[in-house]
Amino acid sequence: MSIEAEAIAEPFEEVARRAALHADATSDGSTERELLVLWLGDDAYALPVERVREIVRLRPITPMPRVPASVRGVLSLRGEIVQVIDLRRRLGLASSGDDNPRRRIVVLNGEDGQMTGLLVDRVSEVLRLRDEDLRPPTGREAGTVAALAPQGNRFVSVFDVDRVLDLGVGA
Amino acid sequence: VAARRAQKQARSRATREFVSEAEEILERMRADLADLADARGTGGVAPELANRLFRSAHSLKGIAGMFGFEGVSDLAHHLEDILDGLRMGRISPGAPALDLLDEAVELVSGLLERGDGDDAADAQAQVHALIERIVAAVAGVAEPAAADVLEGIDSAVLRALTEYEEHRLRESVRGGRAVHLVEASFEILSFEDGLSELTRAVRELGEVISTLPAPGDSPDSQIRFSLLVATECDSGALRARIDIPNASVRGLRETSTAPGESAPAPAAHAEPLADPADSGGDGIESLKSISDTVRVDIRKLDELMNLVGELVIQRGAIGAIADRLLGDPVTSRIGRELAKVHKALERRLADLQAGVLEVRMVPLRQVFEKLSRVVRRLRRDLGKEVRLDIRGGDTELDKLIVEQLADPLMHVVRNAFDHAIESADERVAAGKPAEGSIRIEALQRGNHVVIEVADDGRGIDPEAVRRRAERLGLVERDAVLSRKETLDLIFAPGLSTTQEITETSGRGVGMDVVRENVTALGGLVHVDSQIGRGTTVVFTLPITLAIIRALTVGVADQRFAIPLTAVLETMLVDPSTIQRSEGREFLTLRGEPLALRRLHAEFGLAAPPLAARLAVVVVGLGDLRLGLLVDRLESQQDAVIKPIQGPVRSVRGIAGATELGDQGTVLVLDVASLVEDAAKRREAA
Repeated sequence: MSIEAEAIAEPFEEVARRAALHADATSDGSTERELLVLWLGDDAYALPVERVREIVRLRPITPMPRVPASVRGVLSLRGEIVQVIDLRRRLGLASSGDDNPRRRIVVLNGEDGQMTGLLVDRVSEVLRLRDEDLRPPTGREAGTVAALAPQGNRFVSVFDVDRVLDLGVGA
Repeated sequence: VAARRAQKQARSRATREFVSEAEEILERMRADLADLADARGTGGVAPELANRLFRSAHSLKGIAGMFGFEGVSDLAHHLEDILDGLRMGRISPGAPALDLLDEAVELVSGLLERGDGDDAADAQAQVHALIERIVAAVAGVAEPAAADVLEGIDSAVLRALTEYEEHRLRESVRGGRAVHLVEASFEILSFEDGLSELTRAVRELGEVISTLPAPGDSPDSQIRFSLLVATECDSGALRARIDIPNASVRGLRETSTAPGESAPAPAAHAEPLADPADSGGDGIESLKSISDTVRVDIRKLDELMNLVGELVIQRGAIGAIADRLLGDPVTSRIGRELAKVHKALERRLADLQAGVLEVRMVPLRQVFEKLSRVVRRLRRDLGKEVRLDIRGGDTELDKLIVEQLADPLMHVVRNAFDHAIESADERVAAGKPAEGSIRIEALQRGNHVVIEVADDGRGIDPEAVRRRAERLGLVERDAVLSRKETLDLIFAPGLSTTQEITETSGRGVGMDVVRENVTALGGLVHVDSQIGRGTTVVFTLPITLAIIRALTVGVADQRFAIPLTAVLETMLVDPSTIQRSEGREFLTLRGEPLALRRLHAEFGLAAPPLAARLAVVVVGLGDLRLGLLVDRLESQQDAVIKPIQGPVRSVRGIAGATELGDQGTVLVLDVASLVEDAAKRREAA
C-alpha cells in the first residue's frame, strides 16, 4: 500500500479538505483521521493531513543567523518566505546528508495562516484510521508525540504539530 | 468556543469594515467643512457643498446603523438636521454651526480610533451631550415665512418636489431666473445614457432642480422624463441647446396657469431619483460618478505587488541567461536576440511596477488637512495667533506610510504651536510679527519625500539641551559634540526641552517616539534650530515600502541585502587603520570616530581570510552611524522585502527576506536594530 513519494509531491489541499470532511462526518460516533506518514531513517512518524499544505523536494535553503539550531533557514515558496525546521535536529537526532534524493520539505499550515517547512528524510503514504485505534505515546510527558497509530504490525508516532513547531522562543 | 471565536472574528471584521468606510466618509466631511469655513466670508453656502456634506452624514448614519453603532448613527442623524438647515438657508453658516459640525466629526473619529466603537458609557455620554447641543441649536432656528413666489407654477409639479427641491426652486425664482420643464422620451434599455446627456446639456445653461419620470403616450419601449430647470435663458435658447429630437421645452414661470396634461408622475415613483440624500437632485450623473472609483483592500494590492516582484525576479533570471549566451561566441547571436527581448520586457515590467505602485499612492493632503484642523482647534482653545502655511499637499506617498506619518507630524506641529511659538507680547518685544507662523512643506526628491515643519518661534537652545542630557546621563560631561549632534539629542528618550506638561502636547509621547516611528518606516528625522529664529524638523521618507533598492554584500558563504536608504557610503579600508577602544573597533572617518561591527561575528559565521582591504558599509539611523565590516561588496538590486513566516517570529538584525533572481532567497538586514544594539552596547560599556 506504500506509494512512491514522488506521487504525492503535490499540493495537499484536496486531501486535506477531504480529511476535514471526514472528521466532521462521524457515522458511528468515532472520527476517521487521515495521517501523512513520514520517515526519519527507519522510524515512521505521522502528521494530521489537514495541517499539511504541500510537499516539496529539498531545495537550497538560505541559512538564518541568531535562530535555534533546529531552524535550518528560509526558502521561498511561490513568493512567500518560510522557515524550514530540520525535524532530525528538532528531535535531537543525528543529521543525515542532504544528498538523499528522497528528502522532502513538508509545508505545514501554522496559526494565523503562517507556514512552516518541516525537513524530513522521506514521505510515504496517507494512513486512514479511527480515533479508537490510537494508543497513548510511550515517550516522555509533554513530548512532541501525541499518540501512536497502528500500521500493520508496527506503530507510527503521531506528532502534535503545534508542539513540534514550538521551539521555545517567544512568539 | 470555536463558534464564539468565529462570531467574535466576524464582529471584528465587521467593525474593521465599518471603521474603514466611516473614516473615508469623515475624511470627506473634513475637507468639505474646511471648504465651508473658507467660504464663510462670501455669505451663502454653495449647494453642491451642502449637499455633499448632507450625503456624507446620511451615509454615515446608514452604515453606523447597519453595523450597530447606535450612538454614531443617532449623532449623524442630528447632523443631517444642521446640514439640512444650512442647505435650506434656515441656518447661517456661522461659527456655532461649523463648530458643532467640527466637533461631531472629531468625536466620531475619536470613537473610531479607540476601536471599541460607541459602546463605552463615557462615549455614550459624550455623544448624547453633543446631540443635545445640536437639538438646542437647531430648535432655535425659526422656519422662514414661506413667500408665495411660487404662485403660478403648476401645482402638480410642486407636489412632486422634495422640500429641498422646492427650496431651490424658490431661490431661483427669487433670483429672477426663468423656470422651464424639459421633457424627453428615451429607449428604456439605454435611458441612463440619454438622460445623463440631456442633463449635462441643460446644466450648461442652468440648474436642474429635479428629474421626474413623466407619464405620456410614449410607446412601451420608451420612458419619458421631465426635468425642472432654472435658468437665465429663455426657452428658445434652451431648446436650441438640446440635441434630442423628441424633447420639448415648456416655460413654467411665464405661463400663470398650466394645463394639467403633463402632470408629473406620483411622488412615490419619483422618490428614488428625487431623494436629495441619495442623488442631490441630479440623480443619474452622481450615481455614475460613484462607480468611477473602486475601494480596494490594501492587502489585495500587496498581493499584486508580490506578483510584480516575482516577475521582476524572473526577469532578472532571464537577463542573466542572456548574458551567459552573449558571453559564448557559439551562442552570442541568439544571446543578442534574447537580450533585446529582455530589454523590452524590462521596460514593460517597469511600467507595470510603476502602475501598481501608483495605485497605492495617496497625496499627503489627507494628513495635512488633519494638521490644519488641529491648528485651528489649538488656535481656538489657546487663543494663540498662529498662521499655518501648507505646501506640497499633492506630494504622494505609499498609503501605509501616509497613515503611519500622521502621529509623528501631529506631534511635531503641536510642539511648535505649544512650546516653540511665543506669546504675542513676547514676539512683539523680540521684534517679530505678533502672529506666529508654522510652515509645512513637502516635496519629492528622487525616491524620497522630504517634509519640513518649520516654525518662527523661540528656537532650541543647544546649551539647555546639553545640560538636560547630562543631567539624564545621556552624554558624558566632557564629551565633545557638534551643534548638530547636540540638537539631535532631543530625539533621545526622556529628553524634552520644556519641563511643563500642557494638555496639548503632554500626551506622554516625545521626540524619541517621533524618531522611532519614522525610522520604522525606513525614514530619517533631523532637526535644525536657531535661537530666537525658529526650528525646522526635516523628515525624509521612502516613497514606498514595497520595492526598495538594496545593496547586496557577501559574508562568509552567505549573502545579505541592505536597504540602500540606510546606506550612507561604502568604502575599502586598510586593516591597519582600524583602532580599538575598550575592545571595540572603530575607524576615523573625516575626523570623526565611526564604530565598527564585523557582520560575520554578529551572525556567528566563519571569519574571512586576511585581506589587504576590508569592505565597510556605513549605515545610518537618525543621528547614529555604524560601519559594518563585510567580506564582499556585490551589487545593487531591486528588492521586495517580505516577512519571514515560521515559529521564530523575529530576529534582531533581520528585517525580512527577498528573492534576487538567480541568487535565490537573501536575508535583508534590519539596519535600525543593528545600529541600536551597537549604541546600546556602547552605553552599557
